[in-house]
Amino acid sequence: MCSEHILEQLKPIVEEWKGKEGSLIMVLHAVQNHFGYVPREVSLQLSRLLEIPLARIYEVITFYNYFKLEPPGKHRISVCLGTACYLKGAPVILEEVKSILSVKEGETTKDGLFHLDVVRCLGCCGLAPVMMVDDKVYGKVSKGQVMEIVSKYGKEG
Amino acid sequence: MAKLTPKDIDSKIAAGLDESGDWIKVGMSTCGMAAGAGEVFSTLQQEAKKRNLEVRIKKCGCQGMCYAEPLVEVHCAGLPDVVYGRVDKETAIKILEKHISAKTLVNDNIYEVRTRRQA
Amino acid sequence: METDRKIILLADTEQSQQDKLRDFYTSFANQIKDKGLEDAVSLVRASDIGIYGKGFAVKILPRGIVYTGVKESDIGAIIDASVKGQGTVERLLFSEEPKQIRIVLRNCGVIDPESIDEYIACRGYGALKKILSGMNPAGVIEEMKKSGLRGRGGAGYPTWMKWKFTRESQGDRKYVICNADEGDPGAYMDRSVLEGDPHSVIEGLIIAGYAIGAGMGYMYIRAEYPLAVERVKKAIGQAYECGLLGKNILGTDFSFDIDIRLGAGAFVCGEETALIASIEGKRGTPRPRPPYPSVSGLWCKPTAINNVETLANVPYIIMEGGDKFALIGTEKSKGTKVFALTGKVRNSGLVEVPMGITLREIVFDIGGGMLGDKPIKAVQTGGPSGGVIPVDQLDTPVDYENLQKLGSIMGSGGMIVMDESDCIVDIAKFYLGFCVEESCGKCAPCRIGGYQMLNLLNGIAEGSGSLEDLDKLRRVALAMQRASLCALGQTAANPVMSTLRYFEQEYREHIVNRKCRSHKCRSLMTYSIIQDKCKRCRVCVINCPVNAIEGDREKGFFIDVSKCVKCGKCFEVCKFQAIAKE
Repeated sequence: MCSEHILEQLKPIVEEWKGKEGSLIMVLHAVQNHFGYVPREVSLQLSRLLEIPLARIYEVITFYNYFKLEPPGKHRISVCLGTACYLKGAPVILEEVKSILSVKEGETTKDGLFHLDVVRCLGCCGLAPVMMVDDKVYGKVSKGQVMEIVSKYGKEG
Repeated sequence: MAKLTPKDIDSKIAAGLDESGDWIKVGMSTCGMAAGAGEVFSTLQQEAKKRNLEVRIKKCGCQGMCYAEPLVEVHCAGLPDVVYGRVDKETAIKILEKHISAKTLVNDNIYEVRTRRQA
Repeated sequence: METDRKIILLADTEQSQQDKLRDFYTSFANQIKDKGLEDAVSLVRASDIGIYGKGFAVKILPRGIVYTGVKESDIGAIIDASVKGQGTVERLLFSEEPKQIRIVLRNCGVIDPESIDEYIACRGYGALKKILSGMNPAGVIEEMKKSGLRGRGGAGYPTWMKWKFTRESQGDRKYVICNADEGDPGAYMDRSVLEGDPHSVIEGLIIAGYAIGAGMGYMYIRAEYPLAVERVKKAIGQAYECGLLGKNILGTDFSFDIDIRLGAGAFVCGEETALIASIEGKRGTPRPRPPYPSVSGLWCKPTAINNVETLANVPYIIMEGGDKFALIGTEKSKGTKVFALTGKVRNSGLVEVPMGITLREIVFDIGGGMLGDKPIKAVQTGGPSGGVIPVDQLDTPVDYENLQKLGSIMGSGGMIVMDESDCIVDIAKFYLGFCVEESCGKCAPCRIGGYQMLNLLNGIAEGSGSLEDLDKLRRVALAMQRASLCALGQTAANPVMSTLRYFEQEYREHIVNRKCRSHKCRSLMTYSIIQDKCKRCRVCVINCPVNAIEGDREKGFFIDVSKCVKCGKCFEVCKFQAIAKE
């Protein structure tokens, strides 16, 4: 990614937040929304544009689970391990996803198609166990359905 | 929207919620959406239009009965208010055909029946 | 027209025998026909009428009378008394006050959350109008005092005191913050309120701002709740357009702004000093208190932080009066509490109940009892900071003090029901593991103590624990409670301590007998083949990843326990239930 291109994309974000108190986390949210993660080059530019030391930016990115330093896979699979899901068999679902994709939580498949995350409560405890692919929530998932759900996204490419 | 005055608020409160006519409310919070409320909502809209039914299809928040999502509340003249649960496309159509048009309740999906608030 | 017809609803309150309900429906329909009444009534099967465990129920509308425990032989009597006539069959009559009271959830599921008009039509912003046209800030705080409302985020600090202290603190600027960083895994009360009735929280926040003399409020919302964020954003925009936010609200000299700040997936940010750090754009690490935020909070200015549910109560209290609110609840815990009832309960969902209700009423009368009618083992409240309450304490009235006495806390409202298939050691490990992962690492008792406790628990679950470990757990827990910097560390040991208090026997079984009675702790299980049931199809042999199943079709097959890794694959693939798990 060339730096001019990045500057172009960062402009509206920086303009919205520069000078506002305590805006770093909101800026990072906007960056991650735009790029899908927080690329290293972007952090470097942000540091310059917002006049915030790079160390402060990384200190924040690495503290919060939500921010990613690696590009995400094409589809993000989140398996909920909140209490209700945990009790209703979410660990089995997680194992199944891991074995189908042969990745661990927090990793992306080699073909870049899927990224697997474990999340703590999606707020759909009534439908436990729950998994989410991109923005679509699947409730009352059984081990047998996992393959079906995952392959839906695999075929579309 | 214009700025409100204290008087505006008083008169809006005095007027109360517009619950006139026949209407259907679909619970469209995260758990409802996860259970398929989006599809139910659009089915109701399309099918009501197809059948020329005068019924307002509205959105609302979580009714609390997550186990029975998607939830659909139906208000129809001459019948008590009914909350249907575990509604899918098929049930949505049944609600329009039976509850709204034929004015009979739909079997097997009723989760709550409320006696009418006003007389 | 249908209007004059009676509607008869039939429901199976045991919810286990749908076929029988159909038979019951058929006999009811036949008898109505026999009596020539088919034009006068319409008969409907309902899935749920809010009554549980009482056999077949018959509800007759519009009168609203309900009969329970109805047998086929009673149908005739019911039809004669209540369908033909206006009488009742006394012996079957069911009457009960509704268990739920809706204050916080008053508009959820009623109004369109994206319409400010519908909110106002339901008496919304009436409280704001009321205070701006004749209540001074001290009067608002006085009303809150009368209501007795205590913080719904967990600790239960009186809201009026928080407001009073912040009001009395010196500062050129003051802030109010709505804590919507709902982090308890297994709880979603705040999400539902924000998604279903965002204006009630916004109105509460404006009133809080007026009471303490703040000009700026922040909504700190979990980024994992995109729909809630979107609806709050929309609602704030509408409030500005209507002149309910911004300069000179409703034509008065009171001005107030609200901005949204997003959380970023750190449980510790539910702690108020960590939350403040996060809004300031820093790592969400807590700092020692005092000074409390009411003295030195956001940007070192006096700040009041209230939880979503607390704020949603505020407009109701101002509109209806603190005295009316205080009629609900117990002596020291007023009003209602919203719980996210989940786990092994039949009806998972949100419930709003008056303080003082018992856990048993919540689980059985509202929640419809246990999933699959399995015996209940325990109820967990308070999430990772709470405790596990055993079945013999289910009749305790729920309020702040009682739950604390039982070794749990009210918490934000997670309520998880457990049955005998849930292992207590596994549960303790789950919650502690969560806190260890979410510990910010700033103070040693939480960072190291939590890790050490988790190691001990893992040992116990794997069968390598010793009885001394139980004492060690208690000692480390005490250190964490006493010496941790913030509530996360101070309470992280609660799930372990409360399970040790009520279920020590189960810990001992893991240690002494190397047995997990719930078959959850994998390392303690042994698999074997039941020879009588085995059809010698070899499916398990083919599927075993470590070739631990030996033998042949003549002699039969056996699992070599020294090779077995206890993955459970054989148990899963066997079509004849010929694998035993102990």
